[in-house]
Amino acid sequence: MFPLSEEQLHKILSIALSRGGEYADIFLEDTRMSSLELQDNTVSQAQQVMLYGAGIRVVQGTETGYAYTMDMSPESMQQAARFAGSIQRAGSMCHVPMLKPAPILTPDTPMLDPEASEEILLSINRRAHEISPLIVRVKATIAQRMQTIKFVCSEGTGFSDHRPRTTLFISVVLQKDNQTQMGFGSRMYQRGAEFITPELIEELLQETVQQALFLFDAKQIEGGEMPVVMAAGSSGILMHEAIGHAFEADFIRTGESIFTGKLGQRICDNHITIVDDGTQPHDAGMLRYDDEGIRGQRTTLVDKGILTSYLHDRISARHFGVQSTGNGRRESFRHIPLPRMRSTYMCAGEASEEDIIRNVKRGIYAQTFTNGQVQIGAGDFTFFMKKGYLIENGHLTTPLRDMNIIGNGPQALQHISMVGNNLKIDHSAGMCGKGGQRVGVSQGLPTILVDKLVVG
Amino acid sequence: MNTDILYWVAEEIGRVNRNAAYKLVLMRNYEDNINIRNGQIEKMLHASATSLAMNLLIDGRDGFFYTNNVQTDALKQFIYNAEKTTRMLEPDESRTLADPERYYKGDGDDLKIFDDSLSSIDPSAKLHLAQKNNSEGISLQPDLISFQTHYSDRQHQALYLISNGFQGYEQCSRCTLTSIATANGEDGQHPADGWGETRIFFNDLPDEGIARVAIDRTMRKIGGKPTKSGKYQMILESPIVGSFLQPILNAMNGQYLHGKMSFLADKLHCQVISPLVNIVDDPLIPGTRGACYFDYDGVATQPRSLFSNGVLDTYFIDTIFAKKLGTKPTTQGIHHLIMQSGNQTLQQLIANADNAILVTDFNGGNCDPTTGNFSYGIEGFYIQNGRIVQPVSGMNITGNILDAWKRVTALGNDFDPWETELLPSIVFDDISFGGL
Repeated sequence: MFPLSEEQLHKILSIALSRGGEYADIFLEDTRMSSLELQDNTVSQAQQVMLYGAGIRVVQGTETGYAYTMDMSPESMQQAARFAGSIQRAGSMCHVPMLKPAPILTPDTPMLDPEASEEILLSINRRAHEISPLIVRVKATIAQRMQTIKFVCSEGTGFSDHRPRTTLFISVVLQKDNQTQMGFGSRMYQRGAEFITPELIEELLQETVQQALFLFDAKQIEGGEMPVVMAAGSSGILMHEAIGHAFEADFIRTGESIFTGKLGQRICDNHITIVDDGTQPHDAGMLRYDDEGIRGQRTTLVDKGILTSYLHDRISARHFGVQSTGNGRRESFRHIPLPRMRSTYMCAGEASEEDIIRNVKRGIYAQTFTNGQVQIGAGDFTFFMKKGYLIENGHLTTPLRDMNIIGNGPQALQHISMVGNNLKIDHSAGMCGKGGQRVGVSQGLPTILVDKLVVG
Repeated sequence: MNTDILYWVAEEIGRVNRNAAYKLVLMRNYEDNINIRNGQIEKMLHASATSLAMNLLIDGRDGFFYTNNVQTDALKQFIYNAEKTTRMLEPDESRTLADPERYYKGDGDDLKIFDDSLSSIDPSAKLHLAQKNNSEGISLQPDLISFQTHYSDRQHQALYLISNGFQGYEQCSRCTLTSIATANGEDGQHPADGWGETRIFFNDLPDEGIARVAIDRTMRKIGGKPTKSGKYQMILESPIVGSFLQPILNAMNGQYLHGKMSFLADKLHCQVISPLVNIVDDPLIPGTRGACYFDYDGVATQPRSLFSNGVLDTYFIDTIFAKKLGTKPTTQGIHHLIMQSGNQTLQQLIANADNAILVTDFNGGNCDPTTGNFSYGIEGFYIQNGRIVQPVSGMNITGNILDAWKRVTALGNDFDPWETELLPSIVFDDISFGGL
C-alpha cells in the first residue's frame, strides 16, 4: 500500500521524538478523486486529482510540530520528522515501542467507471426535462473520492483504511415570465455509487425542481425577532453551527468558546438530547477510527439538558484528563488534526410537526438552508434559509426565500420549547470548514420550535 | 525550477496520443506556519510541495487533471488515465486553448512580487517576529482570555507550457502576521476580533502595532447586541467592502452569464450602480499583490475598467465562455482591483453620519446570483450624531445588491495598499437592517 515497512516507520517516529515530546504520529495518504459533469446536455467535463504524501506530527502538551512531504523515501520522511521534532527544546529521547501490524479496516471499494457515470448523468438530464418544461439548464455531477490511509503512532499502534466517498449534485435553472430561479440538491455518502438508484435520482430531481418552482412565488419579508419552527432534516444546521462548533474542545481548552466551564451544568430544557455520532454506516461523518487512531464512537453532548461532553481530540483529551471522543480529524496529510464534528443531531421528542406549527401565532417555518457559520466566543450563529413559509395563526401561509437567521447558541438552546417526533438526518453534501480544512459531516434535527430568533 | 519534467510530460502525452493538445502547469510552493497563544508555541508547520496541473484537449474534448506525485512511474500512469478519461467525454467545440496571438510574449520587467529569501530565512527569525507580537498583545491587555498570533508565509513558483506556443514562468510570495484577541464580555460572552497585515517581502512586515489594533477591535465589541429593525445609513468598513462587492463581480463572470445565473446579463454599458463608483483592474503595477503578466490560460493581462461612473464596462470572459456566448474574450477575472477612493477618512465618514450603522464584519448570509437579492448577518456599531454609541451584533441586512450599490453616497480614502483589492470604506443610504 505504501513503500515503508513497519521498521522504517518505527525509525521515523524515533527520529521525530529524538529531542523529546510525548507523542508522535505518521499519516500516510494516497487519495484519488474524480468527477464527471453534465452541462448543456452533454457530459463534457472531467476532473481527476491525485494526492499522495505523508504528514508527521510531534506533540508535547498543547504544542505541535508538523511537517509533510510528498516524497515517501526514508530520507525525505526522516527530514520531515526532524523538522516536526524541532519544536522540542532539547529534551531526552523518547522510546517508541515496536509497531504492531496495522490492520486494514475496510476493503478497497471499486469506483464507478466513467462510462457508467456518464449514463447516469444523461438519464438525469433526460428525466429533468420531462419533469418541467420550464427548465433551461441542468447541471449534474458525480464526484468520487477514495482516500487510502495508513496511520501509525508512538504508542506502537496503527491502522490502514480505505475511505470511499461518493457525491451526486444536481442543479436546475428554470425560467418563467422573464424570471429565473435555481434549484439544487445533493447526496453524499461514504460508499461507492450503488446508492445512486433511479428512485434516488427521482427523489432528488423532484426536490430540486420543486425548490426552483417554489422560489418563483416566494419573497423576503420585513425582518425582526420572531418564533422560528425549524423543519426536520436540513435544519440540523442549527446543531452544527449553534452547538457543535462551540463544543469542539480546542475552543474549550483555550477558553474561547461560550460553553467553556459548563460541563455538568444544565444548559437547556430536559427534553433535549444532542449527540455527535461517528458510527452511522456510510454517513459522511462516519469514522471507523479517527485520524489520530481513536476508535469511532457516539458521543452524547447534551443529555436531557445537561452538558455531558465536549468533542475531544488527543490534545484536548490529554489536557482535560479524559479519553478522546474520537473527533480528531484532518482534511489530508497536509493538515494537523483538530477536534471536528461527525454527524451531529438532536434526538427525537414527542410533539407532532402539526402541533408545533399550530402553536405559533406569527413566525417562520424554515425548511431548507444553504450556508451557515458561528462566532465561537460570542456564540452568535447564522444560517441562510433558502426556502420557508410565514406562519400566521398556526398555519403556513406566504412562501419565503433567501433570509438569514441569526441567534446566539446558548440562548437559542434555552428558547427551544417544543421538540418533534420526526428526527431526520440530512445527507446533502455537507462539508464543514475550520482552520482552512474541510471534512465531510452530516447533521439532523426533528422539527423544533425556537421561541425567538432574528430573521432578516 | 527545473523545466525538464514539463518537457518530459509533454513528450509522454505525445507518445500516448499524438493528437492531444495540452496546458501544463508545474507548481512549487514553500510554506511556514507558526501559531502562538498566550506566550506558548501552539503549532509550527513547515512544508514544500511540487504538483502538476494538466488540461488535455483531444478532438474537442477537455479534461482537467492534478497530481502531487511527480515520480516518473506515477506520472506515466497519470497521463495514461487522463488520456483515457478525456477520450470518453462528449466533444465540446468551445473548449479550446487560447488564441496564441493573445499570449503574453515575455518582455515585461520584474514585477517585484517575489521574496527570494523567504524560504531560506532562519525559522527562528519568523518565530521571533511572532513571539514579539504575542508578547506585545499580552502586555497590552493581560486580562484577555486568549491572545493568539499567527504567522504564515508562502512562496509560489509556476512554470507553464501550452502546446500551441506558450511558455511562461511566474513567482510570487506573501507573508502575513495576524493577531486575534478574545476577551471576557457581558452575559458570559467571549467577543473576539483580530487584525492582520500582509506583505510581499518578509522585511516589510511591521513588527509592532498589529496586536494593539486587534485588541482595540475586540474590546470595542463588548456589549454588542441587536438594535431596532429599520432603515439606516450603512458605513461599510474598508476590509469587508470586497465581500459586499463579490456578488457583482460573480455576476460579471462568463460562467454565470452562460449559466443564466447573472443579474447583470444584458447590462453591459448600462448604468447599474452609483455614478460615484469607479473600479479598474490593473495587474501591471510592480510591487502590488495580484500583479501578473498573464492569466492561467497564458493570455497577456492588461489594465481594464470594470465600472466608470457606475456604468458596467466589461464582463470577465475567457476563451471557453467567449465561444459559448458567441462574443470576444476579455479576461478570466480580477487580479489587482482598485476602486477610486474619496477624500474622507473613516473617522470623517462617521462624524458626518447620523442614525447610521458602521458595519465592521459580516456573519454569514448569501446573495442569490440570479436576482441579486441578499441577506447577510452583520456586526458593527450604531452611530448617532456623528458618534459611535453602541456596539451591535446579531442583525441582518437585506435587499438587492444592485439597489444597494446604487445608493452609495460617499467614499473613504482608507484602503489598505497591501491588499489585492484596494477598496475604501463606503457609505450606503437606506439599507434595511433586521434586529429587534
